[in-house]
Amino acid sequence: MAKDPLAEAGLHFDELNKLRVLDPDVSQKTTELKEECKDFVDKIVQFQKIVGGLIEMVDELAKEAEKEKMKAIGTRNLLKSVAKQREAQQQQLQALIAEERMQLERYRIEYEALSKVEAEQNEFIDQFMLQK
Amino acid sequence: MNQRLSNNNDTSLTDEARSPPSTDTITNFTKVQHVAKQVVLLIRRLSTGAGFVSTGKYRMRFKTSLLKEPKHKELVSCVGWITADEVYSCSEDHQILKWNLLTSETSVVVKLQEDIYPVDMHWFPKTIAGKKQALAEIFALTSTDGKFHMMSKTGRIEKSVEAHRGAVLASRWNYDGTALITAGEDGQIKIWSKSGMLRSTLAQQGCPVYSVAWGPDSDRILYTFGRQLIIKPLQPSSKSLQWKAHDGIILKVDWNSVNDLILSGGEDCKYKVWDSYGRPLYSSSPHDYPITSVAWAPDGEVFAMGSFNTLRLCDKTGWSYALEKPNTGSVFSLAWSADGTQLAGACGNGQVIFAHIVEQRWEWKNFEITLTKRHTMQVRNVLNDAVDTLEFRDRVIKASLSHSHLVVATALQCLVYNTKNWNTPLILDLKEGTVSMILQAERHFLLVDGGGIYVYSYEGRLVCAPKFPGMRTDILNAQTVSLSNDTIAVRDKADEKVVHLFDAQTGKPIGDGKPLTHKMEVMEIALDQCGASNDRKIALIDKNNDLYLTSARRLGREQRMHKIGSMVHTMVWNDSANILCGIQDNQFTVWYYPSAVFVDKDLLPNTLFTKDASEFSSAPHILNYTGTQVTVRRADGSLVYGGVPPYPTMLHEYTGSARWEEALHLCHFAKDQALWACLAGMAMANRELNTAETAYAAIREVDKVQYIKFIKDLPSKESTLAHILLFSGQVQEAEATLLQAGLIYQAIQIHIDLFNWDRALELAVKHKTHVDTVLAHRQKFLQDFGKEETNKRFLQYSEGVEVDWEKIQSKIEMELAKERERAASSSVGSSMASRR
Repeated sequence: MAKDPLAEAGLHFDELNKLRVLDPDVSQKTTELKEECKDFVDKIVQFQKIVGGLIEMVDELAKEAEKEKMKAIGTRNLLKSVAKQREAQQQQLQALIAEERMQLERYRIEYEALSKVEAEQNEFIDQFMLQK
Repeated sequence: MNQRLSNNNDTSLTDEARSPPSTDTITNFTKVQHVAKQVVLLIRRLSTGAGFVSTGKYRMRFKTSLLKEPKHKELVSCVGWITADEVYSCSEDHQILKWNLLTSETSVVVKLQEDIYPVDMHWFPKTIAGKKQALAEIFALTSTDGKFHMMSKTGRIEKSVEAHRGAVLASRWNYDGTALITAGEDGQIKIWSKSGMLRSTLAQQGCPVYSVAWGPDSDRILYTFGRQLIIKPLQPSSKSLQWKAHDGIILKVDWNSVNDLILSGGEDCKYKVWDSYGRPLYSSSPHDYPITSVAWAPDGEVFAMGSFNTLRLCDKTGWSYALEKPNTGSVFSLAWSADGTQLAGACGNGQVIFAHIVEQRWEWKNFEITLTKRHTMQVRNVLNDAVDTLEFRDRVIKASLSHSHLVVATALQCLVYNTKNWNTPLILDLKEGTVSMILQAERHFLLVDGGGIYVYSYEGRLVCAPKFPGMRTDILNAQTVSLSNDTIAVRDKADEKVVHLFDAQTGKPIGDGKPLTHKMEVMEIALDQCGASNDRKIALIDKNNDLYLTSARRLGREQRMHKIGSMVHTMVWNDSANILCGIQDNQFTVWYYPSAVFVDKDLLPNTLFTKDASEFSSAPHILNYTGTQVTVRRADGSLVYGGVPPYPTMLHEYTGSARWEEALHLCHFAKDQALWACLAGMAMANRELNTAETAYAAIREVDKVQYIKFIKDLPSKESTLAHILLFSGQVQEAEATLLQAGLIYQAIQIHIDLFNWDRALELAVKHKTHVDTVLAHRQKFLQDFGKEETNKRFLQYSEGVEVDWEKIQSKIEMELAKERERAASSSVGSSMASRR
């Protein structure tokens, strides 16, 4: 094939017979590449957006998890302290019960003493009536 | 029960014999029922677990009040009452707050400098020996920087004194306000004058002194030394008393001036009560937290104790009336108001807790009175369950129920109710606010306040206001004052051996004005309540716990004290007869007729009624002895009742109204040796010889029967009287009676019979008669015992006198004949006179 002197000079004609400095093939490929690159960049951006959203979401989740964790710890502590509180309350109630018990014992003794007096007096009345 | 009672009413004995058992039984029975009801209620509450918040009804307790939010931002370290309704509190937030309880307002008095952290405060004492203090009201405030500050009522710092290295932990004014004592972290105790000049450093030791208190006379102080307590007299030469009191560091002490008892609380979580000799009287069971505060009520009847979330009201014997569990943190300091009805506490969480005593109870016969609120009382008649409510204008400070009258002292008034009528009280206005004691007798009652002792009749008339030099009314209590219908007895404080006696009608000292002086310190006195005023007797327990009886009305001559018991801890007279009961060692003893010692000492042991007192446990206290029932408070606080046979009361009644026949009947009926012995004593005291003879015969005292027979045969009144006096061992009085009647021979003869030779000879020589009689008897006595004459006087007189028994006999005959003749003529004369 005869060498195209134009080609040698670096000039080409395209399909529309317009004079071109670049080989139309190359030019076409470049354009293709450019297109592809653009596509690629678009996709990357989109990807970034998605990943960003994801990260945000995960972050939020983490925060949430952290919060829940703290809550759990708090509740656990509270539970522990409630147990202690109950213990204190129980202690207080125990003290009051002991007090009431003592009072009950006093009443019991008083009751017994009075019953005894009653019995004595009944006996006395019986005797009194027999003797008359 | 009713069946039996109605049967009982049909018995044919006299009314008096019938009534005591029946009414008493009704009262008792209803009381039993009532207590049983309470027990059931309590058990029900305990088993259901409900209602722990409100403590048991009808039991003295605290009613507390706390604000929702604390007013102080930091812990409150100390509180003090300025009036009956105003409290100052100091806190670590540097504020001093004033609390007005009437208006429930709180105001900031002053905000202290940032570097002053208050520790303790004490108001300058208000009354000094009964006189009102006109001085500006100041208080001493101690702080952690080693200073104490004199603060005025307005919160101005009048003076700051560098007192200790480290914090000043406590400060107390003495009772007359002449000295202030401070105790510091550096272990020193210093005394300061009122103006803040250092007087002396009383003690120096290696550990901090946490608390300090003055003794009742301001002549001793009590302070803590680690686990030990020390009582140190201010006089440098006298010895101090030190003892180990707790198993942990002692944090607070208090010493009451009325009952002379000491309170201590420490880190071993116990509180203890001591007497002023350091003997333990009570030790509590351990609490959950250290005891951070203790405080006596001014009248010494109760005290309060504070710990973490704990406030307790206790009896002076230590047992606890009630426990409160307020949300306060530790109660660091407690202060009672001057009238002893309200309490303020400094709390660790910035609160100030206020409490007043409610549900105090009084009982008498079938009436039961409860202080339901500060201003309200509920009267319950247990016989018919009738309930009355008494409302007062002011707070009730003291009350007393006895002898059919209720006497109530409020802040400004004294109200007297009759148990028959609860609607219209008699109202007296009080001059000085705080009544510290009320005593009742059948006819009148006695009030003690800061200014003096006053006796009022139940009609509201001021009967008298007895006084004696050096009288301090602020320290009188029921053990040291006694009232009967005609006599008042008050034990002196400066000299505890002395008892002042006053006529209750005039308020003047009885007799020659000299008080009764015992050889030992007197701990408790009690006047008998019945009978004629001339027979008034006073019983007293001295420091050795010996019980003595003597006459309160001494007519000229000195009366002897008769010891009638030992190891007696508590005693009470009966309200309706002169019967005394007490707890002697571990025996419950009733002296049916204590006056027997004045008639016939040997009789006394026979007139006792004793019962084992083990049911009263240790250290019981007799509250009252009404009718036939004795009420005893045990050391653990429970009430125990004991019955005494009703016969002695009846016997007292019969003999008191000279119904000897009936008295004899009663003794025959009861068949009780003790009763016969009582009758013997009573009859002899009233010179009722026939009854006495029978009674002595019944208790098989043959010698006494013989002697009474002999007395009955005596020809003249004078010698009868003399021999009756001789019978009760009053030789001097007997001799005086005979000499007065001119019966010299008879006087000599009684001394001869008593082998009282010296006196017999002395009389004979003095009256120049019967010297030979004395000598003759002496010779015979010596011969009988195979002895030689050694008495110089007898040797001297026997020289000049010849003994001729026949002559002597005839002389004696003559004397007796003379006496008979005289007696006959005088009786004729008197009968003539009576006829005229």
